[in-house]
Amino acid sequence: MLGYVAIGIPCGILSNSIGMNALQVFVMSIVFYSGAGQFMIPNMWIAGAPMASIIASVSLVNTRQMLYSAAFAPVCRTANKLLSFMFAASVTDESYGVNVIKFEEGGWTVARATMVNAFSNSSWTLSNVLGVLVGDAIGIPLAVAAFAMTSIFICLLLDQKMTPSNVVAIVVAFVGVFVCKCVGLSGPAILIGAVCGVVAAMVFATVRGESLHGEADGSREAEVS
Amino acid sequence: MEPMGWTQFFIVFACCSVTMIICRVAPLFLLKGRALPEQVERALGFIPPAAFAALVANDLLSPNMFDAGLWPAAIPLLAAAVVVVVAKRTHSLLWCGIAGVIAYALLMAIPL
Repeated sequence: MLGYVAIGIPCGILSNSIGMNALQVFVMSIVFYSGAGQFMIPNMWIAGAPMASIIASVSLVNTRQMLYSAAFAPVCRTANKLLSFMFAASVTDESYGVNVIKFEEGGWTVARATMVNAFSNSSWTLSNVLGVLVGDAIGIPLAVAAFAMTSIFICLLLDQKMTPSNVVAIVVAFVGVFVCKCVGLSGPAILIGAVCGVVAAMVFATVRGESLHGEADGSREAEVS
Repeated sequence: MEPMGWTQFFIVFACCSVTMIICRVAPLFLLKGRALPEQVERALGFIPPAAFAALVANDLLSPNMFDAGLWPAAIPLLAAAVVVVVAKRTHSLLWCGIAGVIAYALLMAIPL
């Protein structure tokens, strides 16, 4: 919960800086409910990105939620439809980690998991609104508030499994963003860079004959090495 | 920078929320416990490393970052280096956020 407060306040400050009011931030936090997304919107807006670029980039980053959703499908098979919907709609990077462990331990229910999500959502929403309210009062420079999210992205990036294919994805995305900015495409840079990274990693994994769960196909491996 | 008006807020909010709710809910109901097709799962698995790398690069790099001199460009890079160390040690989003903001603020306070 403390994590949501520490990240939510700078997020609220940043949202406020582009003219979003407490009501807008409140609705955004409850419904959209995405740390990465809610930082990306003001950051890209300040950078002057067109709305279409903001929506496309945020939506691309949203797609990682499909993995979490698929992972929870088995435990929700027997649960009530409405409850499953409420649960699925409120999964985040952090609460996914907590609930996966609880479900593996056993004795955990979708209802309880939904409660965890609801508490997380509340503390996220409250700290965002608090950020809006204190944003004007305490003069934290925007660059400093924005760096909270940069720091979190760095942490999330370093927590990825450093398989060869993932490293390809990371390097190509990194270079892709810089190249986009150099040729004047700073609006869609995140989107183009990330898509290049994914495509490069897919090609790399296919060429290496890597199977999905890490264990490379033996004969192909011998050829490569 | 032009402040975001209600119309613009609503468009961004509605579009981002719709794609988010689809990504969060659709797989759970459509799969009914079956696994995703392997190629789809593989591509989805590459999105987090690629997307986070793109976001970090977008925050740290720009072609004219050295225009104002070496030090203004070095501040975010040095603060990022501090975050890398904290991330490796703690794996905590909270500590990374706090360390990054403090490092950045302290480096900005150095008059170079």
